[in-house]
Amino acid sequence: MAEVNRKRLLECALCPNMCRCECPVAQAAGREAVAPSGKARLAHLLLEGRLPWSEAALEALSACLGCRGCTLLCPFPELALDDELLAARRNAAAAGICLPAAAPFDHNLKKYGSPYGSRGGPAAAKYGDGEVLYFTGCTAAANHPAAAGAALALFEQAGVSYQTIDEYCCGYPAETWGGETLARQLAAENRARIAKSGARRLVTGCPECRYTFTRRYTEWGAALPLPVVDSAGFFLELVREGRLKPRALEGAGPVTYHDPCLAARLEEKWEEPRILLGFIPGLSLAEAACAKRSTRCCGGGRMLQLTFPALSEAIAKRRLAEFPAGAAVVTACPFCRENLAAGGGAVLDLAELLARACL
Amino acid sequence: MLDFSEMMLQERQLLSSESSELAGKLRVIAGEQGVSASPVDRLATCRDYWPMGSLWFLEGKAPALPDLVVWPADTAQVAAVLALAGEHGVPVTPYGEGSGALGGAIPLRGGIVLDLKRMNQVRELDGENLMVTVECGLNGALYEEHLNRRGFTGGHIPQSIRCSTVGGWLACRAAGQFSSRYGKIEDMVVALEAVLPDGTVFSGRRVPRTATGPRLDHLFIGSEGALGVITAATLRIWPCPEERSLLSFAFAGLEEGLEAARLIIRAGARPAVVRLYDYAETGHHFPEVKEAGGRCMLILLIEGDRRLAAAETQMAREAALAHGGVDTGCGPVEHWLERRFNISLASKLFRQGAVVDTIEVSSTWTGAAPLYRAMQEAMLAVEGTALASGHYSHVYPEGAALYMTLCGFPPGEKADYYKRIWSAAMETCLSLGGAISHHHGIGLHRGLWMEQEHGGAGLEALRRVKQALDPGAIMNPGKLGLEEALEWRK
Ligand SMILES: Cc1cc2nc3c(=O)[nH]c(=O)nc-3n(C[C@H](O)[C@H](O)[C@H](O)COP(=O)(O)OP(=O)(O)OC[C@H]3O[C@@H](n4cnc5c(N)ncnc54)[C@H](O)[C@@H]3O)c2cc1C
Ligand code: SF4
Ligand code: SF4
Repeated sequence: MAEVNRKRLLECALCPNMCRCECPVAQAAGREAVAPSGKARLAHLLLEGRLPWSEAALEALSACLGCRGCTLLCPFPELALDDELLAARRNAAAAGICLPAAAPFDHNLKKYGSPYGSRGGPAAAKYGDGEVLYFTGCTAAANHPAAAGAALALFEQAGVSYQTIDEYCCGYPAETWGGETLARQLAAENRARIAKSGARRLVTGCPECRYTFTRRYTEWGAALPLPVVDSAGFFLELVREGRLKPRALEGAGPVTYHDPCLAARLEEKWEEPRILLGFIPGLSLAEAACAKRSTRCCGGGRMLQLTFPALSEAIAKRRLAEFPAGAAVVTACPFCRENLAAGGGAVLDLAELLARACL
Repeated sequence: MLDFSEMMLQERQLLSSESSELAGKLRVIAGEQGVSASPVDRLATCRDYWPMGSLWFLEGKAPALPDLVVWPADTAQVAAVLALAGEHGVPVTPYGEGSGALGGAIPLRGGIVLDLKRMNQVRELDGENLMVTVECGLNGALYEEHLNRRGFTGGHIPQSIRCSTVGGWLACRAAGQFSSRYGKIEDMVVALEAVLPDGTVFSGRRVPRTATGPRLDHLFIGSEGALGVITAATLRIWPCPEERSLLSFAFAGLEEGLEAARLIIRAGARPAVVRLYDYAETGHHFPEVKEAGGRCMLILLIEGDRRLAAAETQMAREAALAHGGVDTGCGPVEHWLERRFNISLASKLFRQGAVVDTIEVSSTWTGAAPLYRAMQEAMLAVEGTALASGHYSHVYPEGAALYMTLCGFPPGEKADYYKRIWSAAMETCLSLGGAISHHHGIGLHRGLWMEQEHGGAGLEALRRVKQALDPGAIMNPGKLGLEEALEWRK
C-alpha cells in the first residue's frame, strides 16, 4: 500500500480547514481534533515523531469516513486526505497501537472472514457456473440479506445465468483498521474463488466492495480476472434489454435517491440509478439537497457505524434532514441503508424497490 | 506527551489535580462527551490560523495548551461553565472554528477552551421580517446554505466562510466579500444573546431599531471573547438576488480606479463586490487578461432587484469609463468567483519556509492611495520581504479597506521578522490616520498597537468596561490589547 505522501499531508496540515463544512465528521463531532486539517496536523506530528502514538491519537485519525466530501472543496487536486490518513494509521499498528472499538470486529474478521461473525451468504445462494457472479458483501449479508435476496430474485426473473460463491469479506474493514496482511489474505481467498468460478462479470450492490476490488486488489497482488459492475448499472441493462419490466407501484409516494459517496465521487455513478428509477412508471423522484457528486455521507463509511456508533448515527441524522420531507429514501449501498435506517429513516435498497416493481 | 517548554506563549497551566477536579464538575454540566482532558483535543485547540501558529507548528512547537476542552450543548451549559470557571478563577477561551488570523483563540493561560461548535442550530427563520436566529457555533457555509435553500441570503461571504462560525464573525467584527452592499457583520446584527462572565444570560430584543439606551448586546460585536460568550444571534437576511451583473475595468493606476469606485458609491450605487488590485496582484490574478497588463483591475459584482441592478450597472460603467477604465468584461469576475476560496498557495509557501500573512486596514478615500504606497514601502524595507502587494477589498461612502499581502524569507528568526514587518505596517498605518484593522480583529498580536489605535484614554475606558463585566478576568485573557501577553511583546 502507498506510503504517506508527507508533502501533501503537510500542506493539508497548514490549511485552515477550508473544506470542513463538507466534512460530515467535523460537523457532527464539532471537535477540532477530527476536522480535516486537525487530523492532518496530528498525523504530521505523529509521523515526525513529535508525539508518540496513543489510542487517543489513533482514534482521532480513524474518525474519517473516506467519503471524499473534503475533495469537493479542496484546492489540492492530488490530495485524498482519507488515503493519507489510512496510510498514516498503518504506522499505529506497527507501533502496537490498535483502535479498541475495532477489536471485536477485527477478531471476527480474523476468525470468520467477516467482521460480523459467521460469513452468511444470501438466502438464495446458488453455486455453479453462471456467467455473472453476484457478490453480496459481508455488510449486506449481515444486516439486510433481503436486499441481496431481492437482487437474486430479479436475476431469476430476468433469466440471468448467475452464481454465488462462499465469500470472504472483501478486505475493506481490514484495510480500514490497519491490517494490511489480513486484507491481503482476504483478497487472496476471494480472488481464488472468483477466478475458479469462471464467471465473466462480477456484480455487487456494495460500493465498498467495488472500491476494494477495483482500487486495492491489484496492489494486494490479487487483481481480479473479470470486470466489476455495480448492480444499479446491471439492472438498468436488464431493463433496457426488456428482461425486467417494471410496473407502477400501487400507492407509492415520492422517493429520493441517496447517492452513496463512493459510488458518486469515486465511480462517478449517479445517472444510472436515476434512469433506472425513471423506468418505474409513475414514480416521482424528489432530489435531496446535496445529491449526485455533492452527496453527503450517511455516516457509515470506513466502518464508522461499528467503531464510532454515536458519531455515525449523528451523521446519519444530519443527512436524513437533507431529504425532501415525505419522500421515501432509496439507496444502493448496504452501509447507507443500514446507517440511515439506524438514524431513523425509512430506507429501501434499490434492488428491493425494483423487485417490488418487477416481481 | 506534551512538552510544556515547547509551548511558546503559555503563561500558566492548572495542576493536574486542579484539572481533574474541575473536569469532574464540568462533566456534571456538559456530560461525559462534553469535556476532554485528552492531549489530542488540547493540542488541537492550541492555536488558530495566526501565521505564527503555522510557523511554530513547522518547528514542532505550539502557542499554548488549554487544560480542558469543553463542548457546551446549549446556552444554559455555557452559563454554568462560566459560573464554575469564575468560582475557580480559571480562564475561559471561546473557540469557534479557529480561522482567526491574529491568535485570538489561543488559550494563553491554559484553563478551559470553550468549543462552541455543538451549538449549531438555526432557531428561527423569519422570512417575512427578514431575520434569522442562529446559534453561535454554526459553520458559515452551512448557515448560508440553510438560507439559500429557503430563498434567502445572509449576504456575509468572507473568504473563510467554509471554516468559520457565525459567533466567530460577530466576535471579530468580520467582513464578507459582498460587504459593500450588505454591510459588515455589525451592520447585520438585529440582536445578540450572550452570557456574561458570571453566568448571567441576556438577550437583545429582536426589533428593528431601539432608542432604549446603549445596546449592551451590541457591545459584544468585536468583543473577541474578552467580555463573555455570544451564544446566539438574530441577523438580517435578504431574499436571494434576482439579478447579478459582473463588470471589470482596467485602470492606468490605483488612483484612477479609486476615484471611479468612490464616485460609484457616492452616487448611491451599492455593488456587492468592489475590489481594486494593484499592479502586482492584477498580474498575479488576471494574467490571461491582456488589456490588464501593466494596469490595475477593478472588479464589480452588482446584484439584487432586476431594476435596481440595471441602474447600478449603468452607473458603475459610466463612472469607470469616465476615469479611463478599459472594459475587460465579465471574465475576470467569473475567474475571481471561481478562485476566491483557493488559498493553497499559502500552505505551499509556509511549507517552503516562507512567512506569509495578510494585513487589512481602512482609511478615508483621501488617505487610501497614500496609505497603500507608504505601507508597501515600509514593508518592503524590512529585510527578507519578497513581496508586499495589495488591493482595496471593501468600500464605503467615506472610504475603503486596504488588504495587504506579504511574503518574506527572513534571514534570521521568523518571529523577529514577523514582528518587524508588522511593526512597519502598523506604525505606517497609524501615522497616516488609518485604522489598524478593518475585519480580522485584534486577537493577541494586534493588541500590541491597541493603545496607539484608541489612545490611552480610549483603551482605559475599554479596560473599565472589561473590569466591570469580568472582574475576575477569566474571559480570554491577554487579548484585545486589554492586558499584556507576557510572552508576546513588541
Ligand atoms: C483563509 C482565511 C480567510 C479569511 N477571510 C476573512 C474574510 O474574508 N473576512 C473576515 O472578516 N475574516 C476573514 N478571516 C478571519 C477569520 O475567518 C474571521 O476572523 C472569523 O470571524 C473567525 O471565526 P472563527 O469561528 O474561526 O473564530 P475563532 O478563530 O475560533 O475565534 C476568533 C475569536 O473570537 C472569539 N470567539 C469565537 N466565537 C465566539 C463566541 N461565540 N463568543 C465570543 N467569542 C468568540 C475567540 O475567542 C477568538 O478570540 C479569514 C481567515 C482565514 C484563515
Ligand atoms: S483536505 Fe484540502 S481543503 Fe481540506 S483541510 Fe486538507 S488541504 Fe484544506
Ligand atoms: S474523507 Fe470525509 S470524513 Fe474523511 S476528512 Fe474527508 S470529508 Fe471528512
